[in-house]
Amino acid sequence: MRAVREGDLARMGVLFERHHRPLFEFLYRMTGDRGAAEDLVQDVFVRMLRYRATYRDDGRFETWMFRIARNVRADHYRKHGAAVYVPDDDMDWASSEPGPGHLLERAREMARLKRALQALREDRRELIVMVRYQGMSHEQVGAVLGVDAGTVKVRFHRALKELRDAFSRVPEGE
Amino acid sequence: MQCDDLGPEMLEYLAGTLPDDRLAEIRAHLAQCQACRDDVDATAELWNELGAAPAPRAESARMRARFDAALQGYIDGQAESRVVSFAAAHRPAVRWQPWMQLSGAAALLVIGVGLGRFVTVAPPAQANPEIALLREELRDTRQMVTLSLLQQQSASERLKGITTSSQLERPSTEVVSALLDTLRHDPNVNVRLASVDALRRFSGRDAVRKGVVEALPQQESPLVQIAMVDFILEAAGPDAKSVLQRLAEDMMLNQAVRARAERGLKQVGL
Repeated sequence: MRAVREGDLARMGVLFERHHRPLFEFLYRMTGDRGAAEDLVQDVFVRMLRYRATYRDDGRFETWMFRIARNVRADHYRKHGAAVYVPDDDMDWASSEPGPGHLLERAREMARLKRALQALREDRRELIVMVRYQGMSHEQVGAVLGVDAGTVKVRFHRALKELRDAFSRVPEGE
Repeated sequence: MQCDDLGPEMLEYLAGTLPDDRLAEIRAHLAQCQACRDDVDATAELWNELGAAPAPRAESARMRARFDAALQGYIDGQAESRVVSFAAAHRPAVRWQPWMQLSGAAALLVIGVGLGRFVTVAPPAQANPEIALLREELRDTRQMVTLSLLQQQSASERLKGITTSSQLERPSTEVVSALLDTLRHDPNVNVRLASVDALRRFSGRDAVRKGVVEALPQQESPLVQIAMVDFILEAAGPDAKSVLQRLAEDMMLNQAVRARAERGLKQVGL
């Protein structure tokens, strides 16, 4: 990113190659919409180009990237309204193909979990996605959110508890 | 140790990353607390369930191609901004000189101090015509500074001008026209992009919507054009369809811009 900041804009392609997958996964799990997530990934990288002068060496690149991603997502919701989540491809989580009974049952459970996750408040879901799916430490999440690691631990525990409650409320067989 | 203490540390407990002494405390507590044992089991199960959910697959090739087009557009736009454009060469001959800016800033300070005194001394319920007058002057001065900044040679100063415009409560038509002019003629891509963002505030005005629509074909940077397509999508209301349709079919436009217009058409239901 330092090279990009100094004017070697073509190096942005390398950063895209390296980071677009985790970013897409984050945005997809947050929006539940593949098309929107792809658009937002583009927006994040374009915004990085535009605001490259604000990148500082003292932090991790990922922290900066996820801060921008959160802003881009917030702008997206402002423009298009809060997401009314309709899973666009539950195939990712639950296959409807016939198979052994236990596999089908497992797939249904996964679909229920996905619905429970999407039923959570956005800030709670964001914490779970960052810790569980992005593998970020409490310190890293804290750096993105601008809070200390202890606060992240407390909030994450609360989010997990709410997810458990939400999961138990999703009817079976959904 | 209390039950409530366990929650925030549960993941570290499950991961086995707690220091030995803390681990021993938690184990001792769990040995005598069924509720916490159940809580730990349920959390471990949920954690594993979450991990079993497959990662969504990114369509990397398609996304990369799209980004490469946008990046190239941006790089081209940067190169284009380095040459003196026709618009830059025909900027008004009279530029705001540093002493004029300094005077503007000093005037702002004096008016600000004056306003502050009036606001603290006068009873809030009373309508004071002098305060109204000072406010009016402050507004005019801010507008003057905004217009001055938008005329500067340095792109970062012009960006500041755009930021200042967004802080004006009721910008004059002159400021809005200056923003439209910046969008049409500014040689710097970032400044033009920022002007699109700033103009969103005024998307309710017919002249602004019309101005953006008319300026789009003249833009050379696909990045700015894409931002303008988004603006049209949000602001043009019933007219959006016909404008987007025209853009989607315009073979002179960059492919990424046409694709954005096509996606916009789908969004508005065509």
